[in-house]
Amino acid sequence: MKIIKLLSLSCILLVAPKAISQEFKLGKVSIAELEQKVHPKDSSAAAAILYKKGVSKMEFDQNEGFIMVTDVEARIKIYKKEGYEWANQSVWYYNQTNLKERVFFSDAVTYNLVNGKIEKTKLKSDGSFDEALSKFRGLKKITMPNVKEGSVIEYHYSIRCPRESIVRDWDFQTSIPVNYSEFKIAYPEYYVFKPRQKGYIFPKITTVKNPKSVTINSKERGTGLVSRTEFYNDKIDYVETETTYVAQDFPALKDEDYVNNIDNYTSSVEHELSLVRFPNQPVKELSTDWNSVVKTIYEYEDFGPELNKTGYFEEDLKKFLGGITNQNEKIWAILNFVKGNVKWNGYTGFSCDNGVRKAYKDKTGNIADINLMLTAMLRSAGLTANPVLVSTRSNGIALFPNRNAFNYVIAAVETPEGYILLDASYKYSVPNVLPFRTLNWFGRLIRKNGSSEEIDLMPHKTSNDIVFMNFDIDADGKVSGKARRQCTDYRAMLSRENFEKSKEDEYLEKLENNNRKIEVSEYSRTNEKELLSPTIESYSFKGGDLSEMIGGKIYVNPMLFFAQEKNPFKQEVREYPVDFGYPFQDKFNITIKIPDGFAVETLPQPVAYNMENNLGSFKFNILANDNVLQLMVVNQINEAIISTEQYEMLKEYYKGVIAKQTEKIVLKRI
Amino acid sequence: MKKLFCALFFLLFTVNSFAQKNDYSVFSISDSLKDNANAVLRLDQMDITIASQRSMNIKVQRVISVLNSKGLNDVDGYQHYDKSTSIKNIEAIVYDAFGKEIKKIKRKDFRDQSAVSGSTLFSDNRVLYLDYTPISYPFTIVYTSEIETSNTAFIPQWYFVGGYYLSVQKCALNVTFPKELGFKKKEFRFSDFNIKKTTETDTQLSYIATNIPAQKPEDLSPSYGDLFPKVMMGLENFHLEGVDGKATTWEAFGKWYGDKILTGTTVLPEETKVKIKALVGDEKDPIKKAKIIYDYVQKKSRYVNIAVGIGGWKPMMANDVDRLGYGDCKALSNYTKALLQVVDVPSYNTILYGNPYKTDIQSDFVSMQGNHMILAIPTGDNYVWLECTSQDDPFGYQGTFTDDRDVLVVKPEGGEIVRTKIYDDKGNKQYGKGNYSIDKDGNFSGTLAIISEGSQYAQKSRVETFLPNEKEEHYKEYWDNINNLKLGKITFTNDKENIRFTEDVHLSATNYGAISGNKMIFVVDAFNQSTANIKRIRNRKNPFQIQRGYLDTDEIEINLPEGFSIEFLPSNYELKGKFGEYKTEIIKKENNKLTYKRSMFLNKGKYSSKDYDEYRLFMEQISRNDNAKIILTKN
Repeated sequence: MKIIKLLSLSCILLVAPKAISQEFKLGKVSIAELEQKVHPKDSSAAAAILYKKGVSKMEFDQNEGFIMVTDVEARIKIYKKEGYEWANQSVWYYNQTNLKERVFFSDAVTYNLVNGKIEKTKLKSDGSFDEALSKFRGLKKITMPNVKEGSVIEYHYSIRCPRESIVRDWDFQTSIPVNYSEFKIAYPEYYVFKPRQKGYIFPKITTVKNPKSVTINSKERGTGLVSRTEFYNDKIDYVETETTYVAQDFPALKDEDYVNNIDNYTSSVEHELSLVRFPNQPVKELSTDWNSVVKTIYEYEDFGPELNKTGYFEEDLKKFLGGITNQNEKIWAILNFVKGNVKWNGYTGFSCDNGVRKAYKDKTGNIADINLMLTAMLRSAGLTANPVLVSTRSNGIALFPNRNAFNYVIAAVETPEGYILLDASYKYSVPNVLPFRTLNWFGRLIRKNGSSEEIDLMPHKTSNDIVFMNFDIDADGKVSGKARRQCTDYRAMLSRENFEKSKEDEYLEKLENNNRKIEVSEYSRTNEKELLSPTIESYSFKGGDLSEMIGGKIYVNPMLFFAQEKNPFKQEVREYPVDFGYPFQDKFNITIKIPDGFAVETLPQPVAYNMENNLGSFKFNILANDNVLQLMVVNQINEAIISTEQYEMLKEYYKGVIAKQTEKIVLKRI
Repeated sequence: MKKLFCALFFLLFTVNSFAQKNDYSVFSISDSLKDNANAVLRLDQMDITIASQRSMNIKVQRVISVLNSKGLNDVDGYQHYDKSTSIKNIEAIVYDAFGKEIKKIKRKDFRDQSAVSGSTLFSDNRVLYLDYTPISYPFTIVYTSEIETSNTAFIPQWYFVGGYYLSVQKCALNVTFPKELGFKKKEFRFSDFNIKKTTETDTQLSYIATNIPAQKPEDLSPSYGDLFPKVMMGLENFHLEGVDGKATTWEAFGKWYGDKILTGTTVLPEETKVKIKALVGDEKDPIKKAKIIYDYVQKKSRYVNIAVGIGGWKPMMANDVDRLGYGDCKALSNYTKALLQVVDVPSYNTILYGNPYKTDIQSDFVSMQGNHMILAIPTGDNYVWLECTSQDDPFGYQGTFTDDRDVLVVKPEGGEIVRTKIYDDKGNKQYGKGNYSIDKDGNFSGTLAIISEGSQYAQKSRVETFLPNEKEEHYKEYWDNINNLKLGKITFTNDKENIRFTEDVHLSATNYGAISGNKMIFVVDAFNQSTANIKRIRNRKNPFQIQRGYLDTDEIEINLPEGFSIEFLPSNYELKGKFGEYKTEIIKKENNKLTYKRSMFLNKGKYSSKDYDEYRLFMEQISRNDNAKIILTKN
């Protein structure tokens, strides 16, 4: 009796969800779906995912053992021509000697409504393609037949992956609305997968345990006098964990300016193998918390052991360092030594490509080659240096403990004054001023003993842009003067990147054309190559277009071409945080001499604006002293990242800043 | 044993002597070649050997000294290949600044990748490319490659100037060919450069050019291909993906294309023919029939490009397009032609260069040219041109992608060069009519109707397909002279019959008028500011051109706030010159109302480098006057 009850209960459990998801089945396209003209919740949508279901299941293969099989089916509605691109679908797959995946498309059909009847057009072989992208990857593509405005398309594909630990990422959101998206992962009790979810909205999660069994056919050859082969037929019972994620009515994603990386805000889930525990075998922990993630990475052959190699550089470095004893000088010298000797080949990664020794010899390597070498050198010079795992901006934010969260590594030196972060892959990087790609929330420092610590990667030191300018206005309104601009930290890095981009005369052409066509002369640059010092540019300028004579009066903007005239924040609603990258201060000290025979008629009023929570402040001060005006303007933003809740305030703040910076001085004849 | 040793020794010796002969040190480059150069082509040599109509071998040698990181792109260490083009060998050797060899990159170290570009869904084109990380600058790369192909329809065009910011020490082209294939060539713009023709016989052609300084790009210049010397080459008897071809005259070439490539591609299923006949009904007028069919194709099809083998040149079968509902420019043009045939409307496949920068089929050089196909429907002495890849374009509209250029129309009796539609400058119209009000705090609110025609229709009508956030972004960019802009209701009217696009926009903004003391200042011309920022260029060398002219007229009513009086009004302004005409006028009305009228007409044309500054000043004066301000005083 008891057994029956249990059975019937599980029957209900099995049936119940099916009843709800009945229409989400390939081939069951309804007339209502075909008739629909616009998406009910987003009339601007060019297409929508009516449903998409994915199952990644670990299956037992007699030859290969456990493998990962992923099945995906989808139904997509195309409302407008702009949505035609959704009729082309593609799936990439691994295609290298040690890892060959197989992808099959099937059940691909286009549905149209013709005179009130459903017309089906099946995809034939002339619409499917297999492209060998490179030595490592292939791409299966399909293009659906007979697609028009109003069509519904359906397709199914499955991926067989011989490596059971690989689970494809699943996005619940994309650039069009998603009505229903479901992802299921199922694996036997011998494995534990860790999910990593991202986004601003999250799917519902349910987990069930299913009893399962496999039959393993094996044979054993006896070793007695008469050799005999025995066949075994073992039935093994195990419990399968099945987790289902369901997302309903997720809106389309829209990209915005000043967003770090839109992928960080896409609702999605990734899975990573964290534990393997077969009976009668030691448990293999891969990643359950940050410490075990870090420990696993540290033990990788192309990570930890690479840090211990020192022989290849010791002699060269000793010679290079000479008698330097000061800590900071040592750090600076070693950073330059690596920068000068090994060039970045453009590949990221926290594990070495060819190894530090080869990279040193070839003078080129990937990020790990370079920065692990740097760490090893710092250590060998007696500093407490450790690698810091980083996820770059393009890789997204590392929120949950897993190995794939990282794709980059930098070095950190522990000093009494705190950590000094270093990256030798970029020529303009200096201690604590890292390339922009690495400024992405938090990194993880790994010590020799395997312990780890979270490291804040976002800069807190203000990068300055300070301008000193003095100019004369003559009686015709013509302006001439001198400017001196000094940039520190990240602003200096930007300046150096700009200097590098063009030769000097071209740079000057740009400087003139971007600044109301002033004529520049006596241009000079200081510290272009002295990376630890601020960059300084000085020049003389003149321009007839910097003031206006209206009705015998001179109207001039006291900040001339330095005035910021346009609000960078134009959006009405902000979906994601504003990411400036680093805190900054723009400061202007301006001295203006007005022509003889003129007097000030109107001056802009001094103001001071402050945002809440000390997020930023703006000061505008002007003083008249006979025929000389003194102006001081400061715009300071104290946080690298501004949340969406603070967007309205930021926009208003900038509105005030821009209005003040566009105000003019009026000079009249006396 | 002894012998081997000898041979080895000999080998070493020859390599060594070769290295001595070729000086790859960068210190021997003359200063004049370093001027403005990011890289110097020490040697740029191509040896083309045409063995027969179906066999061409091309050897490339590029010795390039890269002076800085910006010159890295000029290495050009890549080679495309596919089923009919094989790479016989490819190799690169890197030398340091002193000319000492530091690295050898063999074929297996080149990266192999599929070369399916953006708008193509699938093709069998692949590429081998050099992936080298420089360890210091400057350095020199000696790149060599050799390919063998059965396609002789395209002999590469030869440019003596390798690119911008790239100087050339020595450049050599050697071509050999059997005399019976009808080899021909055309030379362009040799006069200002030191180019020598060293051989010209009925089986050989060679050029050498030396010491060509680096060129700088300049705004509004003709394209690279229209500016510098080049040689076009071709065969009268060529081969293309399994088909022999003839290019003696355009007529013969067109006939060949029609007979060998197009024949048999316009077969349609019977039921489609019946459907089309029913759709057209009793309509007799060929143009009206064509309109019905064009509309049918636009609704039915989409652009998908699959280029495999001859499929890169031969259109997909019309019945396949009918079944699949997609195809590339050739497939969709040809499909439309097939449908037109059903209702007895003749039309012709037309080969051309599709590009907003107007590019002609070189009419005096008969050869395989072009990158796009449209359809031509004859109308007496003229043609209606159909862009069959667009699902939105009005019937017969050419926009800026295929207008005003020489094209090849493929008629059954042969090919013919024809000029496509020229949009008259004055017909490229934008007319704005609207009003705005300023309140006592300087806040702005207004409405505007913008009507666009001619080539301006192409730029504007795409706004209709934008998503709401893209639309907002577009208008905030278009009126970036108005800070704190807020958009109200926006409606569009797309009149495809008359090719006229109307935008009706409501907008408002705080703080448009800047208040200082008891004065308010604001720019009169809120809606249509000239955006052309014509750069000042020191010592411009190249001629410049304005490819399309336009005519903008605006009539705006302005309501000034109550309680203010006008202290200053900009005076009326007029500017006339060879580049165009510009005029603004402000008319004072009663009750603090003004009417602002503006017209701006720009001529298309080709001008010399000397005219550039005059053009810049012309545009600057316009931009200055567009910024003229009104000053109001509080009563």
